Amino acid sequence: MSRVFDTNLPFPTLARTALADAQLRANLKHATTTIREKRLRVVGELDDWEELRSAGAAIKDFALGHLDELCVEFERNVQARGGVVHWARDAAEANAIVVGLVQATGVDSVVKVKSMATAEIELNTALESHGIIAYETDLAELIVQLGDDLPSHILVPAIHKNRAQIRRIFLDEMGKSGLAAPADLSDDPAALAGAARAHLRQRFLSAKVAISGANFLVADTGAVVVVESEGNGRMCLTLPETLISVVGVEKILPDWRSLEVFLQLLPRSATGERMNPYTSIFTGATPGNGPSNFHVVLIDNGRSSALAEESGRDVLRCIRCSACLNVCPVYERTGGHSYGNPYPGPIGAVLVPQLRRGVRTQLEDSLPYASSLCGACYVACPVKIDIPKILVRLRSEVVDEKRREHPRDPELVAMKMVEKGFSSARVMRRLVAAGQVLGRLRVRRLRYLPPPLSRWSATRDAPLPPATSFRAWFAQTHPDANVDLPLPRDFSSSLVHDHGAIHDATPGHVGRDVPGRDGVLSSLASALAAHPSPPPPPRAFRLTGSRDARERRQLLRERLVDYRANVVECDPASLAATIASLLAAHHSTSVAVPTDVPDEWLREVSVRVHRDDGPLATAELDAIDSTLTGCAVAVAETGTIVLDSGERQGRRVLSLVPDHLIVVIDDAQIVEVVPEAVARLTPDSSQTWISGPSATSDIELERVEGVHGPRRLDVILVAASR
Amino acid sequence: MKVALFITCVNDGLFPNTPRAVVDVLERLGHEVVFPTQQTCCGQMHLNAGYREEGLHLAQRFRDVFNDYDVIVSPSASCVGTVRDLYATSAKSLGDATLAEDLDEVGRRTYEFSEFLNDVLKVTDVGAVFPHRVAYHPTCHSLRVLGLDEAPRTLLRHVEGLDLVPFVQPDSCCGFGGMFSIKNADTSSAMGSDKLAAVRASGAEVLCALDNSCLTHIGGLASRARSPLRLMHLAEILASRDGSGRV
Ligand code: SF4
Repeated sequence: MSRVFDTNLPFPTLARTALADAQLRANLKHATTTIREKRLRVVGELDDWEELRSAGAAIKDFALGHLDELCVEFERNVQARGGVVHWARDAAEANAIVVGLVQATGVDSVVKVKSMATAEIELNTALESHGIIAYETDLAELIVQLGDDLPSHILVPAIHKNRAQIRRIFLDEMGKSGLAAPADLSDDPAALAGAARAHLRQRFLSAKVAISGANFLVADTGAVVVVESEGNGRMCLTLPETLISVVGVEKILPDWRSLEVFLQLLPRSATGERMNPYTSIFTGATPGNGPSNFHVVLIDNGRSSALAEESGRDVLRCIRCSACLNVCPVYERTGGHSYGNPYPGPIGAVLVPQLRRGVRTQLEDSLPYASSLCGACYVACPVKIDIPKILVRLRSEVVDEKRREHPRDPELVAMKMVEKGFSSARVMRRLVAAGQVLGRLRVRRLRYLPPPLSRWSATRDAPLPPATSFRAWFAQTHPDANVDLPLPRDFSSSLVHDHGAIHDATPGHVGRDVPGRDGVLSSLASALAAHPSPPPPPRAFRLTGSRDARERRQLLRERLVDYRANVVECDPASLAATIASLLAAHHSTSVAVPTDVPDEWLREVSVRVHRDDGPLATAELDAIDSTLTGCAVAVAETGTIVLDSGERQGRRVLSLVPDHLIVVIDDAQIVEVVPEAVARLTPDSSQTWISGPSATSDIELERVEGVHGPRRLDVILVAASR
Repeated sequence: MKVALFITCVNDGLFPNTPRAVVDVLERLGHEVVFPTQQTCCGQMHLNAGYREEGLHLAQRFRDVFNDYDVIVSPSASCVGTVRDLYATSAKSLGDATLAEDLDEVGRRTYEFSEFLNDVLKVTDVGAVFPHRVAYHPTCHSLRVLGLDEAPRTLLRHVEGLDLVPFVQPDSCCGFGGMFSIKNADTSSAMGSDKLAAVRASGAEVLCALDNSCLTHIGGLASRARSPLRLMHLAEILASRDGSGRV
């Protein structure tokens, strides 16, 4: 059985185990330090980062403020493209829907792309209980699954393991469920990624059903957007006949254009890259070009309750980039397992209590306190979620609950007493004076304090009160500068506040008795009823670049090379020769090409050319060495090539299965910045955004090239004739 | 200028040298210092720990105590951060917009000590002498809530004889976090030990910050480890005329 989080222990107890594990702490420190530096570097490159953050937050606010309408619009657009949208109020409904869909296909195993939503609803366990095996295909998820472990990071679930530990798991476990790892496997991340490629290859090529999550859903086109690195996402979104995407409703974006912001914010915040290697934008079933059965399961599972409340709504902006985890000093020491659920770190500490409103175990109550409120997360968050403020707010809910349920709780009583003490300068003076008695005792260090302060003195000496307080000193030295105005007011009854109000007024539960679509939609609508519509988002970031064609080509070249693509430049007259020489350099014996690639390109090619007329079967493609295509548009700043199955690009599978990809780009196709590319592309086309060869950062957060997609990427930049 | 001192409860009872140093520096610069004796605590601990009502009672008290002053100065970044950043939000979260506006107003008159020197008085050299190797730890509230980094560093750079030494990851939290240091004592100590190790490795003799609460935490670890590291609030260094740092 897949392991799931099943603890109700409070965070400090769980953290103690992690803190005692020196290896774990070393792994986490190494990984988080690496990723922090990378993120700072690529964020620092953009002058308009703050504008992008503001736009990201505003677009999300706008989407959340119209979530019910946007869900319906999304559904309409998915249906128009041959897909089906299902609605689930909670985990049980979602799991039942997915199990039913898989059973209808008759298979007993599925391939999966990493997805937080399916971890949240514990889908793998539900599938297993119906005899269906879910194979995780993301490298880090594979490590966790093979090692019978639990995920500890949103993006890199195996961040707590180092390369040596991963090697051990591969050697011991791979053979039990498929192709074994080679006996001489080294702990070089590239070798480990290679072992994962081999282990999963046949599984991808033969899979009938894939299950994915999504980073974004686009309401006005019905697109499912999956941002990834390794190519396992592309495999799952391209090869199987049936695709089931399980997605939280909050992932909806209003329109296609919103991606101009999020495709900049997410990769830079997540893996610290200008652009992740692969982004698939899937807009429904196209015959012969990807899955023919396409389902989206929209899940609520607590989101409408969160939506009803201001801080809950802020939290729903989250795009799961993990930047807040990576910069968090608490996460760095305690790791993800201490948070007791699939969402760890600062975002977990604010998200989980909001999604599980009404559930109050020691774990939920402890999460808002699992932070020193240092604010590093807020600074890093690409959608400006003020996590410290939300933590404080959630703490006050925990306290308010205490007031109602446990009015004699010792902490509550003590805090009220302290407040009473501070409410009178006279009492405070006495307290300070009492402390000074200690100060006169001439002890040098204070090593022991009574509980609960003993938790302080277990590791830290306490400060010694001085012989004279400031007050006393100042009264003596500045007799005329003491202003002693009496304060007539007593504030203890000045705040009118019904402790039950916020909780009970939460209207997100309205749809709780109605199943499926109507239940979800009515919950969303009632959660939104009390809130004003947010304004349309600003676009103050760069919409266009400033470079000329030659400079753009130059920048594109640099950025492609940065991510280990091989780039050559040529003029139109020498294109055919260049293509031939790249195939020869790769020792290719065969090349697949889209049906409409001009003969001119192939004039000097001497290897076997397979035009995709048939079309080519996946197994045939797997035996072909190279693929040659054109492109729709290329983004210089991020080193990205976009394919949309348009002219000279062919089916999506062509650029995925053969291990070597050659892309021909001419100057007119190169834009400088992401918004220009978004403006050029057809909104509802299925697209693949490619930035370098397939890669992974799942091992110690170091990028290595070469996983499931082509391991070698050659780019030919054709300069317009001089 | 007439300056009302908000010294904070922690400084009053545990670290009187810090506010004494503030008085010293401000008077040296020719300003009038007054002390409203009804002041107690800003309510930071209550507000941060979720005791919103208790904290807001103390916030209202703060407002009344300092109602008559145009300039309120405090040698604690976290308390100033509370007044400026948390008061209004907390009142809003209870649905009291009038109180929020009221508290916001008092926040606009409240300054952290180095911020006041640098931004309001435009002073960079207060004539201090302190010939020691000093590491400056930007506390989370000073750096990320108040946005203070250059002001304290500039003041330190102008201290005669002072050698400002860098250390690794200066921006990372020391792990104090108020109630966090008790509720999550193990994690808090782990963070603090790393901070202490980084500072020790820099060769600094003195660790300086704008918050005595964070210094108590790091200092408590240092004292337990029998480390000779000296912990000093910025004000104490700025008050030093003879190089001893004693007020
Ligand atoms: S809260 Fe912000 S920083 Fe954290 S995962 Fe979500 S979007 Fe990223």
